[in-house]
Amino acid sequence: MVSKMESRKLYIKSMEKKFKEKPDDRKTEFYNYGTWRQSKRKTAYVEAAKKIEAERGIPGYNPDVGLAQGQRLLMPYQLNHTDYIVDMDDLHFMNNAAMQQIWDDMRRTVIVGMDMAHNILEKRLGKEVTPETINHYMELINHAMPGGAVIQEHMCEVNPEIASDCYVKFFTGDDELADQIDKRFLIDINKNFPEDQAEAIKNAIGKSSYQVVRVPTLVGRVCDGGTISRWSGMQIGMTMMGAYNMAAGEAATADFSYAAKHASVIEMSSFMPVRRARGSNEPGGMPFGVLADCVQSSRLYPDDPGRHTLEVIAAGAVVYDQIYLGSYMSGGVGFTQYASATYTDNILEDFVYYGIDYIKDKYGDFCTVEPTVANIEKISTDIAVYCLETYENYPTVMESHFGGSQRAACISAASGCATAMATGSATAGINAWYQSQLLHKEEMGRLGFYGYDLQDQCGSSNSFSFRSDEGLPFEMRGPNYPNYAMNVGHMSAYSGIATAPHAARGDAWTLSPLIKVAFSDNSLIFDFGHVVECYGKGAMREFVPAGERDAITP
Amino acid sequence: MAYKAQFAPGSSIISKNRRKYMDPDYQLKKLRSLSDEDIVLVLGHRAPGEDFKSVHPPLEEMGEPDCIIRELVEPTEGAKAGDRIRYVQFTDSVYSAPITPYQRAWAYCHRYRGIDTGTLSGRQIIEARERDVEKISKELIETEIFDPARTGIRGRTVHGHAVRLDENGLMFDAMRRYIYDATSGEVKYVKNMVGEPIDRPVSVGKPMADAELEKMTTMFRGDGVSINDDQEVIDVVNSVHWGRTFGGFKSVNRDGE
Repeated sequence: MVSKMESRKLYIKSMEKKFKEKPDDRKTEFYNYGTWRQSKRKTAYVEAAKKIEAERGIPGYNPDVGLAQGQRLLMPYQLNHTDYIVDMDDLHFMNNAAMQQIWDDMRRTVIVGMDMAHNILEKRLGKEVTPETINHYMELINHAMPGGAVIQEHMCEVNPEIASDCYVKFFTGDDELADQIDKRFLIDINKNFPEDQAEAIKNAIGKSSYQVVRVPTLVGRVCDGGTISRWSGMQIGMTMMGAYNMAAGEAATADFSYAAKHASVIEMSSFMPVRRARGSNEPGGMPFGVLADCVQSSRLYPDDPGRHTLEVIAAGAVVYDQIYLGSYMSGGVGFTQYASATYTDNILEDFVYYGIDYIKDKYGDFCTVEPTVANIEKISTDIAVYCLETYENYPTVMESHFGGSQRAACISAASGCATAMATGSATAGINAWYQSQLLHKEEMGRLGFYGYDLQDQCGSSNSFSFRSDEGLPFEMRGPNYPNYAMNVGHMSAYSGIATAPHAARGDAWTLSPLIKVAFSDNSLIFDFGHVVECYGKGAMREFVPAGERDAITP
Repeated sequence: MAYKAQFAPGSSIISKNRRKYMDPDYQLKKLRSLSDEDIVLVLGHRAPGEDFKSVHPPLEEMGEPDCIIRELVEPTEGAKAGDRIRYVQFTDSVYSAPITPYQRAWAYCHRYRGIDTGTLSGRQIIEARERDVEKISKELIETEIFDPARTGIRGRTVHGHAVRLDENGLMFDAMRRYIYDATSGEVKYVKNMVGEPIDRPVSVGKPMADAELEKMTTMFRGDGVSINDDQEVIDVVNSVHWGRTFGGFKSVNRDGE
């Protein structure tokens, strides 16, 4: 058992690349790195800022007036399970086009059921709906959704170059119908998923059919997530009238509109209460299970539950921690250093795979352990102590996660994910997260920021609560759950804990088969099957995003 | 039956040290001496010799209302004088610093009155009336819970607790508030808590040897005393966890009784 665990420790290589020193040495040198000048990025920022100041006459970025950056090595970061080694500045979402796009692609998506509209056409209006009429509708909606006019003349239309990322696709659980749909519009479940997952998904969807709408990235940026279903609903309503030759004024069009804008719409997130008010399709209202289903490693690497869990954690780190809590709710630069700990340097990677080895060695297989408190405490303690002592035995690992909150997130994520995988229960996993926090505090005599001192000290009490005003199954909770609402750094791990039991069991999805299918679409700009790798491309400036305005600028 | 505080569970040297530092009846060992002026210089709240700033008149002059709580609670010297609220904050290295942020909070609450503490992963602040802060600071810096190399006196830019040590074994400080004097072997503060240069260096003494620190520390460590070697500590953690998980929902104990 030990040798297998020893053979992992990928972080040792990451540490050697980062520091170019022995990873287990306690001593090093400081104050001789040339401050910010040691960083190519920061040096370039200074040069750029000088030009900006010369042009606009207002001073801007100048590290010489802030606290001197770079008194110690400004080390690079290796992205988990990739060879990308990147500058830390390039992990701020403002500097990383891929990180912007992962959120753009979630925000600009709605899924709209087609059964209600088809029922209205067939049962109320006596019109025929066939694969041919659906194909005709799909062609028309792909003209309308980016901003083309359908039934009115003399309209102001949108330049297709500015909306080149916009389209609508179709999926169904009915193989016979799917076979007759134009392949340009079809999300092919049989092709995209392993056979067992495809069967499970098709059984869940049945003969129902859905359209997946990708509104232009720019619409989400200029307006907000709440706009997406409105933009989509308007264009779907117009297209229905156009495709099925209906009167603009007949009463059935109201039913189409209601279906397209409300009754048949599945959004990525619900709107939030006024104290944290945001519209729907904004990150704060997105349940962890939805985020888990956006990520696609479960179908691409179905035998590697660790990878899927870690990919979801990486998605949560950027969408929830860096963008939502770090910017929607806070702002500034502090959150990147903190949140990136979960997807860099193979540290959490090692912790999660240690947990997988531990489960297999101790219990034989995933999802076999009864979720008793005694079992939760045993697994959580063993994993947490391994993680704590990794930091203590490898000073460079400790230095990589130089804030206690980084360590608290990674250690408890490992405890929570391992417990969830062992028991097959995300609820047991989140209870383990809290046990791990208590143990961490007792072992080191320190933990993290305020959230760890408050919410993580009392969170055990709501981990098993399913009452509607106090809790939900963990997969259905999200950043807006009261005990989590201010807990930056936690959201990535929570997403992983929600995912872990399903990944371990080999489930085709975590919360929604519809969302899993919608994001298996290979026309998306962001690659949801390779989240961390995409971040690396963004950091290296290899990623081509959508939403650029070149077509309308000088 | 008189209650006898246990303070902290466990049988390891780590647990014993925790109990010692938290027990107000235990006299912290004095290891070094600093003058009152040294303390004022390092804290940087006032210039040496400058009067304390006050935010209200002395309590004796205020004609306080008749109040049983005021009769029960003896004001601190700083409160009596009307001092403003100031602070001292320490960063404790993970490399066997004698005390940790949580231990500080617990020890402070047992040892001092009229205080407010705040705990994060690397540093711990204690706020109180200014002359009380100076008195508390003197004890905290002069005694065994302070090591010149592994404990930092830092008002801001506090990181360093988890960063490796420099070639002299000193904890990293981005503001370089202290230096190692190779001639004397002492650590000297050349800046105050918030990083402003001070008029003269203030020595806080020689760093303790690693072996000595390992006997004094309150941290379990993978390369020291493992928490796995002190089962009672883990049992108490699990007891707290069980209580918080089920306390509000089930009136039964861990064995289902």
